[in-house]
Amino acid sequence: MLEIKNLHVKLADEDRVILNGLTLSVKAGEVHAIMGPNGSGKSTLSYVLSGREGYEVTEGSVIYKGEDLLAMTPSERAAKGVFLAFQYPIEIPGVATMQFLKVALNSQKKARGEKELSTPDFMRLVKERASKLNIGPDMLKRPVNVGFSGGEKKRAEILQMAVLEPSLCVLDETDSGLDIDALRVVADGVNGLRSPDRAMIVITHYQRLLDYIVPDHVHVLSRGRIVKSGGKSLALELEAKGYAQFESEAA
Amino acid sequence: MADLDTIELVKHIEVDKYKYGFTSDIETDYAPKGLNEDIVRFISAKKGEPAWMLEWRLEAYRRWQQMEEPAWARVSYPKIDFQDIYYYAAPKSMANPKSLDEIDPKLLETYAKLGIPLKEQEILAGVRKQGEKSTLDDDGNEIAGGRVAIDAVFDSVSVVTTFKAELAKAGVIFCSISEALREHPELVKKYLGSVVPQGDNFYAALNAAVFSDGSFVYVPPNTRCPMELSTYFRMNAKNTGQFERTLIIADKGSYVSYLEGCTAPMREESQLHAAVVELIALDDAEIKYSTVQNWYPGDAEGKGGVYNFVTKRGDCRGRGAKISWTQVETGSAITWKYPSCILRGDNSRGEFYSIAISNGRQQVDSGTKMIHLGKNTSSRIISKGIAAGRSDNTYRGLVSAHRKATNARNFTQCDSLLIGDKCGAHTVPYIEAKTLSAQFEHEATTSKISDDQMFYCMSRGLSQEEAVALIVNGFVRDVLQQLPMEFMAETQKLIGISLEGSVG
Amino acid sequence: MVVQKTAAEMNYGLSLPHRKMEDWRWTDLRQLVDKPYPPRQTVVAAAKDVERLLRSSPFAKVGGARMVFVNGRYAAELSQLKNDTVTSTINVDEPVITMNAAFATDGACLKISGTVDTPIELLFITTNAAARTIATRNVVEIEQGAAATLIETHLGEGSYLSNSVTQIRVGEGARLDRIKVELEAADAIHLSHVHTTLGKNSVFNDFTLTSGAKTNRQNGTVEFKGQGSEAKVSGAFMLGGRQHADTRLVIDHQVPHCTSRELFKCVMDDNARGIFQGKVIVQRGAQKTDGKQSSHALLLSETAEFDAKPELEIFADDVVCGHGATSGDLNHDHLFYLMSRGIPPAEAKSLLIAAFVGEAFDLIAHEGIKEALVKFSNKWLSQHRSGRA
Repeated sequence: MLEIKNLHVKLADEDRVILNGLTLSVKAGEVHAIMGPNGSGKSTLSYVLSGREGYEVTEGSVIYKGEDLLAMTPSERAAKGVFLAFQYPIEIPGVATMQFLKVALNSQKKARGEKELSTPDFMRLVKERASKLNIGPDMLKRPVNVGFSGGEKKRAEILQMAVLEPSLCVLDETDSGLDIDALRVVADGVNGLRSPDRAMIVITHYQRLLDYIVPDHVHVLSRGRIVKSGGKSLALELEAKGYAQFESEAA
Repeated sequence: MADLDTIELVKHIEVDKYKYGFTSDIETDYAPKGLNEDIVRFISAKKGEPAWMLEWRLEAYRRWQQMEEPAWARVSYPKIDFQDIYYYAAPKSMANPKSLDEIDPKLLETYAKLGIPLKEQEILAGVRKQGEKSTLDDDGNEIAGGRVAIDAVFDSVSVVTTFKAELAKAGVIFCSISEALREHPELVKKYLGSVVPQGDNFYAALNAAVFSDGSFVYVPPNTRCPMELSTYFRMNAKNTGQFERTLIIADKGSYVSYLEGCTAPMREESQLHAAVVELIALDDAEIKYSTVQNWYPGDAEGKGGVYNFVTKRGDCRGRGAKISWTQVETGSAITWKYPSCILRGDNSRGEFYSIAISNGRQQVDSGTKMIHLGKNTSSRIISKGIAAGRSDNTYRGLVSAHRKATNARNFTQCDSLLIGDKCGAHTVPYIEAKTLSAQFEHEATTSKISDDQMFYCMSRGLSQEEAVALIVNGFVRDVLQQLPMEFMAETQKLIGISLEGSVG
Repeated sequence: MVVQKTAAEMNYGLSLPHRKMEDWRWTDLRQLVDKPYPPRQTVVAAAKDVERLLRSSPFAKVGGARMVFVNGRYAAELSQLKNDTVTSTINVDEPVITMNAAFATDGACLKISGTVDTPIELLFITTNAAARTIATRNVVEIEQGAAATLIETHLGEGSYLSNSVTQIRVGEGARLDRIKVELEAADAIHLSHVHTTLGKNSVFNDFTLTSGAKTNRQNGTVEFKGQGSEAKVSGAFMLGGRQHADTRLVIDHQVPHCTSRELFKCVMDDNARGIFQGKVIVQRGAQKTDGKQSSHALLLSETAEFDAKPELEIFADDVVCGHGATSGDLNHDHLFYLMSRGIPPAEAKSLLIAAFVGEAFDLIAHEGIKEALVKFSNKWLSQHRSGRA
């Protein structure tokens, strides 16, 4: 589903290179974990995949479902099924969560030539998905993420995933700032969305999350490129030994 | 701990016991009283200026005659009789000094009494060696570490500039403007009046006509000025106006940090201080200009004191230029100044950090202007106003972005602290955004020292005055940190002194 | 209410304020008042014009009693409320008030006692005729313990200068919710001054929508005369074309223990220029004042402009006062978030702009009025964002 080949990315207004030849291949139905120390380029990867301003691709390609992903605008990518769960979800005062989700879902359906949902159908869909994530109706009435705790924000991101039903989910440090209970709820939500048609990239610093969202493949990101790939055991090895060995290998 | 020093000093002083209020009995040369073309010529001749300089002054004088005194600031004062002032007064011994020996020892004594670190003179005079404690200084003040080059100005004349030779080795020119006009006239001619032209405003025109002296600094390309530069102004002679003019040029890629300090004796009549400061920063250059102003504030009834009407402006002329103004204003009866930055070059940056304290019956109307012209310019303003006694303290600021000033960014924070219920604190900011890509953010708060804070401090053993000093120092910390390290301690003391008598 | 002709009005070229006057530095009426607008003209309004304008009020469906003024005169046949006669004066030396004193022909006089459940709407309609000045002077008195919701709607067609001065007195323990919409004709000039005094323990919620006239200057003065009272003054600018709107508020805390809040959201598109001047005065002795002011501007085009002067004049120390002003573009992170969820750029912008202005609407208690305003705002947005990215 996703083929990233030799991707080089630098910041748009500085000469700082962040991704330095990253190559990754993700198939439908797979869950890939990307682990790396701070500054390795984890968030940059997720931003580049979702199309955020401020980054310049100097080399390499990203092919998604056979198409050039980098040529698409952010809303086009979303309509084609790309979803980024932000590490720091933004608060948008004045835009009610329910309304936001409806506009988002229907915009995507429209772009895909599908029939838009009527308001009652939509509300039914959201309520059903929300209850699975312990999200009550008051949270849905509040403006997007405003006044939400860290855990609530992350759950809200997973709810969006559940409603928008993307094909490629990129979870950027979904576990940061969560205690064990919140982590379980989020992980259950994510696991509930696993399917043979869906691929997931789970970006994380700590291996703890991977006990709950068990990956098929684990990659180590260091200084802007993937330096080692393996199975779940690689995550445990990292936990035990740390990133230092990979830093020196990458140099 | 610096706060304890503040507390110690706070215990001993009152508003009327301005520490620098003594007068020095020094033989002074005066021009006839009043202002007319002849006085302008007199001043120019006394300084041996080139003809073009006299023309420049005369043009300014003629402009001034056409102008009207501005009245928009929130300050009120008795009308100034411009003909009742001496526009030139210089210590008699000052005819072209070549070395410190030629300087009236009483003068040097004055500076010593002021506690100014003019200890360089002692070293040159062989009185003491570097590192030995000074015998002249009553305060026992020793400047830790760094050296500071100083231009000492007594009334209208620059008395001495220290460290000139060493600075010259680095290519840095630091001397009085009078000397610069003699040794580097092309440089002065190129830049003088390019940031504050003669006709800019009433007081700038007056200054251009009769400016006495001031500092001139030129830092060559890619040079980091090896030490802090400083000027101390001392107004001593009666009924004189102080009109100094400072011009600082930082050439491409250079850096200079400059400190201006001022004191004046206690007098019943008010003294006028109308200075002009022009700063020019070329590509990637940086100028840091700090002022610690402690002119005589007038007595508790508001009589006397210095009228401080100053025009200060910095031109970020080159790409990536940066100018930052830091000021601590604690003195003068009336303060009227707006150090400003013109952000002309793309990616240039202007900063303004200010602590303005008013006590007794002082009036302060001060602030800044940040004019965003180039692309990707940014500015930052942090102003802390503290009003006590029966004073009035106003922050007036302008932040504007021209239509072509894409991506202009400004952050402004002005906080006022009121001590007692007989003073006033005001903010009058003007925000003008002519482009959608300018992101301006302005915030202002007004508060008092809370009873809870006071109680907490006192329950830990501090007296009321000690508590005030402590809390105020905390309130102004953001700005204090911007000052060159050498002057932070002195400044904290100054803050404590100026707030004495404000509580209770 | 009937106002006597004064000598000053004989010469209708009153001296207009200009930019060298501090309070008018951004709005030079000498330039902006582009032609003579003779006052006190008699105009016969065509019934269908009046009907059309009445229907165009955003509050046509809100219900409640109406008092209608057509071309500056009370129209009893169109009103459900009877007009009263009261004399009172505003002793304030201010250009808009001076002009009004000279030119006013009529105005609303309302005295409210008890609680009025449904909103009262004052409609000021101007029909298309030769360019002229229409000046109205209103007096609203909310008696002790009373409560009411008052809507003031200004609509018109053609080219004219509308000068509206309103004096409001909110009595002890009373409450007034006031909503004003300025939807004058595109070629109109709208000048107004609302002077409000608040008695002890009173509540005043005031909201103004500025969107119609080509040149608008609105002055508002709120004087706290009694302790324990509260004022919330908010507004929204929705400007496009070459519109110029300047709102100047003065909140005067004359007594202790009062609270004031101001919130202005200004959206400027095309070559529009929005100006907000908000002064909060805390007089000596007005301790325990709590005063906060916020003005936020959103510029939608390269040629739009915003100027602000949020002033604080504080003479008492035991107070909490602050103001904040921001100006900028739409938040790029917010835009990206919405787009990353599949919302196309134009729609994402509309959502954010609606949310931006909506924050000011949220302060309106009456749901029907709030909905009507939201509907208006969405319509304005679709007119301004259609076809643009």
